Amino acid sequence: MTRASVVGAGMTTFGVHESTLPDLFATAALSAYDDAGVDPADIDAFYFGNAMGGQTENDTHLAPTLATEVGLAGIPAQRFEDACATSANAFKNAVQAVDAGIHDTILVGGVERCTPETGKGTGEMTRIFASASHRQYEQPTGLTFPGVFALLTKRHMHEYGTTEEQLARVAVKNHGNGTRNPRAHFGSETTVEEVLDSPVVAEPFHLMDCCPFSDGAAAVVVTSDDRADSFDRPVDVTGVGHATDLVPLGLKPTLHATQAARDATTQAYDQAGITAEDIDFAEVHDCFTGAEVLASEAIGFFEDGNGGPAAAAGRTALDGDRPINPSGGLKAKGHPIGATGAAQIVELTEQLRGTAGDRQISDATRGLAHNLGGDAGTTVISVMEARA
Amino acid sequence: MSANTNESASVGYEAWTDALRSGSVLGVSCADCGATYGTPVAVCHDCGSRDLEPVDLPTEGTLHSVTRINVAPVGFEGPYYVGIVQLGDARITARIERDGADTAPEIETPVVLSGVIEEDENGLPAPVFTVETD
Ligand SMILES: [Zn+2]
Repeated sequence: MTRASVVGAGMTTFGVHESTLPDLFATAALSAYDDAGVDPADIDAFYFGNAMGGQTENDTHLAPTLATEVGLAGIPAQRFEDACATSANAFKNAVQAVDAGIHDTILVGGVERCTPETGKGTGEMTRIFASASHRQYEQPTGLTFPGVFALLTKRHMHEYGTTEEQLARVAVKNHGNGTRNPRAHFGSETTVEEVLDSPVVAEPFHLMDCCPFSDGAAAVVVTSDDRADSFDRPVDVTGVGHATDLVPLGLKPTLHATQAARDATTQAYDQAGITAEDIDFAEVHDCFTGAEVLASEAIGFFEDGNGGPAAAAGRTALDGDRPINPSGGLKAKGHPIGATGAAQIVELTEQLRGTAGDRQISDATRGLAHNLGGDAGTTVISVMEARA
Repeated sequence: MSANTNESASVGYEAWTDALRSGSVLGVSCADCGATYGTPVAVCHDCGSRDLEPVDLPTEGTLHSVTRINVAPVGFEGPYYVGIVQLGDARITARIERDGADTAPEIETPVVLSGVIEEDENGLPAPVFTVETD
């Protein structure tokens, strides 16, 4: 059943931007307004995501600031923070608010700057990202976010024999998709050899297994099922699941299961009345190549342990039977933390309208977005469908 | 000024750091359902009980997972190893040390508590486990 509809979508290119957070966000928001054909007067709430502005740019209380920038001052504006799942959480709350009749039409979006344009280098950004791991029980070990996902992936490799080459195939595929996405941070192909020859960041991840630090913004206009027909190109949201897992890593019963993703997927499929078989493609949170393999199993695309071989066999390619990350994913499209979840919804919207250009999945009628936060402690799963 | 107080509904972080600095690893065990946690929490995840008692976890265990970190945060100097250590029924995150090799030890390798590091910017301690060599 339709819970809400996305009637407008917009985003900046992801990459290195000199623009301020308000400038970047306005670019995405105005593009979403234009796509929907709405004015600010048509919007009655603003749900916004930014994960780290306080740490990176000494910039907080951003919801009313950005509302002012895009003509929405006066209406309820609120900021969400859930590490990398920040704007998927904003989206979930917007869908629920519209579904419950609390608001009619909501602007949802996110913005973040993570590149050295903030004045912060790799070591400082690595420290800021690490703030999403447990302050007392993990950060003092020197654990990093590549390290967190390395620990999850290493256990998966131990349990199932997943190989570094299979992980590299994820990077190769996502770089290839990214060359078809004009908004991607990386626009070049890579090879398994290039990935495996790149420097090791946190074993087993080489630099080319890791998503880049990116700047960018994304926004969508969400409205109720009733109102959606008055817009040109609505795409329906039929399920949104949201679950959490224990933090720190040591408390998670099964490290490589990413249990929150499994629980959120069950919720989303139940709401939509579907199973994994009914999904035509997925945008998943491939902050590291291993994360895509774990996600592909958690959302039910492959049996546990088959994610690596499936990636190597090309099953997740644009023309595979289980396409994943047609946008290029975080790996190639880029990962401006608080904008990533909203950007996945932009990609689902374009794919389901059939307007994704060179990266269009043929006959796509139903897609899934998997947006993960922190050490997999949070996951939001959204299911969207072309409107009948 | 009144003296600093340490209010905690759980066994508490201070008890955990005190134990660690004196050579033991403090977990908690649920008096109602028996679940064990490698790091203190105020409420049992399995049954909701608040009756969690401190337990000394074994100081010898095995590597449940491990990585070599080359790119470190500000304040730390790579490379070094971080792992999830299995101690009886519980697991914790720890710094891992090994001699004479520059690759991560294998998963399931035996390790033993050997001390703490306090490289954190606020001096928070982390356990160090060393790969046992014959
Ligand atoms: Zn219990």
